[in-house]
Amino acid sequence: MSFYLQSFGSPNTVYLFLLFTIVEYSFFCYFIYIILPKGSIKKAVPFLWIGFLLFAGIDYAFFSKTYEFDSIASGIESIIVLMLCIYYLFSQVKGSNNLMIYSTFNFWAVIAFLIYFSGTFFLYLMTERMMDSPSFQKMYFVINNSFNILKNLLLCVAMTMRLNSVKQQKSVIPDLDDDFYIQKHN
Amino acid sequence: MFFLQVKTTLGFSSILLLGTLGMFFMAITLVSIVVFHQRRVIRFNKQIQKMEEEKQQMLLRASIQFQEEERQRIAADLHDDAGPLLATARLYLNENLIHQEPAVQLQAIFSAKQIIDDSIQLIRNISHSLMPPTLKNFGLEAAIKDLFEKINGSGVINASARFHDNRQRLNDEQELLIFRILQELVTNIIKHSSAGFIHLTQNAQGNIVYFRIHHDGKGILQKDFEKMEHDSTGLGLKNIQSRIRVLRGKIFFEIDNTHTYYKVTIEVPREPIK
Repeated sequence: MSFYLQSFGSPNTVYLFLLFTIVEYSFFCYFIYIILPKGSIKKAVPFLWIGFLLFAGIDYAFFSKTYEFDSIASGIESIIVLMLCIYYLFSQVKGSNNLMIYSTFNFWAVIAFLIYFSGTFFLYLMTERMMDSPSFQKMYFVINNSFNILKNLLLCVAMTMRLNSVKQQKSVIPDLDDDFYIQKHN
Repeated sequence: MFFLQVKTTLGFSSILLLGTLGMFFMAITLVSIVVFHQRRVIRFNKQIQKMEEEKQQMLLRASIQFQEEERQRIAADLHDDAGPLLATARLYLNENLIHQEPAVQLQAIFSAKQIIDDSIQLIRNISHSLMPPTLKNFGLEAAIKDLFEKINGSGVINASARFHDNRQRLNDEQELLIFRILQELVTNIIKHSSAGFIHLTQNAQGNIVYFRIHHDGKGILQKDFEKMEHDSTGLGLKNIQSRIRVLRGKIFFEIDNTHTYYKVTIEVPREPIK
């Protein structure tokens, strides 16, 4: 949207990028807060969210007005997201009772975020300074879209896991009532 | 400095590509490590599960073998002792008895009565060995004290028992299983340890009942017990273990700090009386 507006000569669309970053980060924080095991990191997630909002507000109010992209906010968002994803994986490896963690929705969703934010970390950091370069713009779309597609594919895999587990639950329940069924129909 | 040098030689596009690829491969490596670690954990768990199943099988086989041996012993007792006794009694009471002199008849009837009394006693003994009447009628404490009195009667070993908190009895099934375990342990001590005394203490704390046997002979430790449990030998210990499992209890083989006494401790959670 921002790039589209910029192509029409809109002077400053950084607020759209920032808005997107904040919404994206908020959804991620909500998701990771739900799936993280109880502990100090889980408690820290709301504070990280508030801290990031404050930072984004200050960044926008005082520093970003002359820029065309919110590189610093995106970079910090990526670092926090990557740290939380790594912590989630570490907690799963260390303390989870679920042995088949790679057959769960949460695992694949976290992998999707991990790969997307790893892949676009450098890109977002450099965008602010390199945005005017046509070759960079080309590369920006290639890298961003590639990782976006990869993220969406991984989220599809995550949702398939979710659907499978729902299907399995549904197919198991009637079996328990087989005896009832036989008694009723005899 | 290095970053700046690279910037000038490689250009921003190359730095961007290298950085992106580097981060991407780091993420992939991290995911791979998690997946491989998880697979290893699954393999390890499967191995443990398999070993547990094998152990269960071994215990089950031991239990079946024990039952078979018990049946054979009862069959042998009935066949070798009760059979001949009753056959002899039948001989005394044969058809020719009515043609005999009254004195001979009286003597034959008296002898037959003696033999039938012996048979009754024999069958009672077999029945008692299957289910001790003291245990059934008066509970575990009386049964243990009865057992220990019999051991004391031999004069070889001094056996004593003290029940500290037996106000609330365990249910019948638990009492029988504990009695069998204690009986097996005491038999093992008498047979293998050359002990001079055996002392049993009972106590309860909350819902858990504790039994501890002290003896001054040559005992075994927990590691020996666990080793014997996996061996093909040690049927009695396997029976103890399978009974402990049924009771959902624990058993510990230890030695005291002075290395003078061995002790066996049994922990059993109390179950409601049926």
